[in-house]
Amino acid sequence: MTALDRVDAPLKVSGSAPYPSDFTLPDQVHAVLVQSTVAAGRISAIDTTAALAAPGVLAVITHENAPPLADLPMTPLGAPPRFPFKDDRIIHCGQHVAVVVAGTHEQAASAARLVQVSYETAKPVLDLDDPRAEVVDNGWGMEVDVGDAEAALSSAEITYEETFDIAPEANNPLGLFTTLASWDSDRLTVHDCSQWPIMTRQALATAFGLPESDVRVLVPYLGGGFGAGLRAWSHTLLAALAARVVGRPVKLVLTRPQMFTSVGHRARSRQRLRLGMTGAGRLVAIDQESTAALGAEEDNFSAVVLGTPHAYDCPNVATHDRQVRLNIPNPGFMRAPGHAEGNFALESALDELSYRVGIDPVELRLRNFAEVHPQSGLPWSSNALRECLQVGAERFGWRDRSPVPRSTRDGNWLVGYGMAGVTFGWYAAPCRARLSILASGTAVLKAAATDIGTGTYTIAAQQVAELLGLRVDQVRVEIGDSDLPPAPQSGGSGLAVALTGAIQVAAANLLRALLDEVAADARSPLRGRRLDEVTASDGRLHLIDDPAVGEKYADVLARHGLDELTADGELDLAAAAADAGVAPAGAFAARFAEVRVDEDLGLLRVTRLLSVVDGGRILNEKTARSQIIGGTVMGIGMAMFEEVAFDHATGRVANATFGDYLIPVNADVPDLDVVFVGGPDAFSPTGVKGLGEVGVVGVPAAIANAVYHATGRRIRSLPITIDQLM
Amino acid sequence: MRGFEYVRATDVGSAVALVSGDPGASYLAGGTTQLDLMLKDAVVPQGLLVDIGRLPLRGIATDGDVLRVGALTTMEELAADPVVAERVPFVSEALLAGASTQLRNMATIGGNLLQRTRCRYFRDIAVTDCNKRTPGSGCAAVTGAARMHAILGASAHCIALHASDLCVPLRALDAEVRVEGAAGQRTIAFADLHVMPGERPDVETVLRHGEMISEVLVPLLPAGTRSGYLKVRDRVSYEFALTSAAAALSIEDGVITLARLALGGVGTVPWRATEAERVLVGAPATARTFLAAAEAAIQDPFTVPGTEFKVELAKRTIVRVLRTVSGEQS
Repeated sequence: MTALDRVDAPLKVSGSAPYPSDFTLPDQVHAVLVQSTVAAGRISAIDTTAALAAPGVLAVITHENAPPLADLPMTPLGAPPRFPFKDDRIIHCGQHVAVVVAGTHEQAASAARLVQVSYETAKPVLDLDDPRAEVVDNGWGMEVDVGDAEAALSSAEITYEETFDIAPEANNPLGLFTTLASWDSDRLTVHDCSQWPIMTRQALATAFGLPESDVRVLVPYLGGGFGAGLRAWSHTLLAALAARVVGRPVKLVLTRPQMFTSVGHRARSRQRLRLGMTGAGRLVAIDQESTAALGAEEDNFSAVVLGTPHAYDCPNVATHDRQVRLNIPNPGFMRAPGHAEGNFALESALDELSYRVGIDPVELRLRNFAEVHPQSGLPWSSNALRECLQVGAERFGWRDRSPVPRSTRDGNWLVGYGMAGVTFGWYAAPCRARLSILASGTAVLKAAATDIGTGTYTIAAQQVAELLGLRVDQVRVEIGDSDLPPAPQSGGSGLAVALTGAIQVAAANLLRALLDEVAADARSPLRGRRLDEVTASDGRLHLIDDPAVGEKYADVLARHGLDELTADGELDLAAAAADAGVAPAGAFAARFAEVRVDEDLGLLRVTRLLSVVDGGRILNEKTARSQIIGGTVMGIGMAMFEEVAFDHATGRVANATFGDYLIPVNADVPDLDVVFVGGPDAFSPTGVKGLGEVGVVGVPAAIANAVYHATGRRIRSLPITIDQLM
Repeated sequence: MRGFEYVRATDVGSAVALVSGDPGASYLAGGTTQLDLMLKDAVVPQGLLVDIGRLPLRGIATDGDVLRVGALTTMEELAADPVVAERVPFVSEALLAGASTQLRNMATIGGNLLQRTRCRYFRDIAVTDCNKRTPGSGCAAVTGAARMHAILGASAHCIALHASDLCVPLRALDAEVRVEGAAGQRTIAFADLHVMPGERPDVETVLRHGEMISEVLVPLLPAGTRSGYLKVRDRVSYEFALTSAAAALSIEDGVITLARLALGGVGTVPWRATEAERVLVGAPATARTFLAAAEAAIQDPFTVPGTEFKVELAKRTIVRVLRTVSGEQS
């Protein structure tokens, strides 16, 4: 495991990495959004007179005068968000109803307050239990029904049934989402906070009736996304629309409050979980039903129960996935969507059962370890969950705890240990990468991937350097541009696997091309050699058996008069998975938490948190660790602080600021211990598994379980707050 | 675009004259609240801003048993003052429990006393029902997502919290504020400065338009009196109080001879627990006394579903701070 500093770190710490909001174009003007103040109904009138008369205002665009856009296409991650300027209907508070374009941002913001919108209001549907709400059952076809869960539950020695509630959370990347759109006749260029340039390009091309080749989406750097950048949100379309209307480049930067209503959130969810278990602690039945909020007239992937069926060895499993359409801003993806929620219920329940059957919580997980993939019966491509649990218990000092709840006290504080197991899903999407060797002997990698802060630049450079025998500083990585070879989204913990795999294919193709180039070159010591006879180091290709026989890339290119030699690599792991004979695995983990609870005052403090993670081959221990640490902090937020407070009557977000919406501050986060276990994954061509999301999962359950151990109180709703604990 | 005018005042008299003579004018000191309210959230109208930041109203002096604190002294400066640390440590504790270092280096003591509520219904102009902003329009917070709201001095007209930490010990100490106005100087008892909302939540203090706090007079505690500030909140730092309590006690032979107790996080104004003090003085410094004081402190609370827990939490906060200040090992 290497622990290389980020290759883009100097740019970032010196403030010179260009994020979307850092770009300024000649003649650029500014757009500010006007939002609905009601949650349901229709716009009866919009008076833009005063706004239009305000200084510097160039245009006020509403549903009444907006040029029509075509419907957005379906994406591999589901239906696109509804475009709000299609008609006069209001489906949530905060819906974009007008965009004001002016010479300066301040002029646009000031004029936006002068737009007078009148509404014909309807009573909004805001509650999961509202009988008026439209219910979507199994909207993603991901429900599982194996064996006979009902029968197994009715005959199980021990049964369990509880309900879990999780508050809605906002992604809140620090970088405010920005779109800078400019037109050059019928060609559109957009700087955008997208985690998926190819999807954004397709959406814009379809909306404006352009060939995709006439749309370019740029996002060299992104100030965080956490899933918020995986959809073609309306502000992106509106910026492009505004630029078209005024004929000048338009920059639109969402405000922090607008981030709560414009780019998705983790949907509120409620789960009913039933388990059946033997007295020896073996699971015999799992029946998990989730009900999650969904925007009215929207579709959104939030299969809360998706991780459960393959988490443990259990013969009878049924999952049910319901969504309820409400007049709320459209939820979206938020780091580890579904997994984070489903794991909280399952791992809390296993903890409860461990006390009932009198088996240590770690041991209970080990007894239910799935030796093979529970549904397919195929061997895992990798699975070090057992090692995660064992190494974690040892390192944390799990055995030192007094197993009896409420048995450890330190002054006003009750002390408790809790843990959770984690099985993350596997996801893959096709990826291409283009690799070139230049005359200088250095390499360039190109792909339309993004680095959302996770370290894509760094691991891509490392991978190229390793395969071509170069130093990392001899590799230039060009990503974040939809004109480059198509790559999947940074999301679903699939990019690292797909991109490093595609780089591996590209590197092989490139070296093959190089050998072809010298096949008949009498001056090349490598003439007539095959790919499997050679390897690369120190900027040269040489025989594996005799490193003295070989030559530098630069020499080959110079002799053959080439500026560069280029090859593409393509990888489609999802297609390959069908007959791989193994069950491709995502990451596994175990989390161990120590908490302190002051019961009088309801105070909860996390004092230790250990993550043991099987992420396959770890390309870069430093960036990998950072992913787990960041995810863990987000997990602490989910467990203890984060809740988007929707006003019960109006559906307005009542805490849309960083002062009011609580995320952990440094003082809330103890030193986070991270350990990697396991080895290279057998199915992933590079042995790598995704790590971007697993860091969140299991943290809430480990903390809630520790709270139980400390206090004897079981908290089944997140966040765990003072009023629940006092 | 609606503009605003900005003037940097050169002396107290002209600053007072400028603001007094213009109904739309207001003072700008540290700016940590006023700029948000005017320019970002637009919940107060834009008008003339008279920047008093460079007036000679900054500094701390001891005058017998009173600390004279210039209104432009920053929160961080007052928190670090050695006399404060020695004679009224709960003032320092309250200051350091508030905001962040960056904000405390900007925000002034005078401004802290006059800070506006953090109620998100007040601070969002998309909300039309706010008696504090528009008298007679109603209160959306009462039926809304309330949590950081008041339970004492509150009513269906308004549950907006006075969120200052500093004001809690100042209220306990019976501080005074020196005020400059067009009609001259006057001194206002801290107890009289803030006005309960009643049916006019828009009226928050007794200050007349144009009056400026120039100095805060903080009585020092007698030697041997112990004090403490306890702030209860969800996260460890950078959050307003759910509940807080400032207490000062003198105890002789196990009997309480002096008691000062004020509460934060619960009142529409900084809240003095006078009834609780009555219970404490002359009583033995025991857990039973502290519990009785806590019961006496929270009377006739006005709660909504999101704030019901504060009744019990405030009592427990009082008990805890009294236990700590009395020296009971906790």
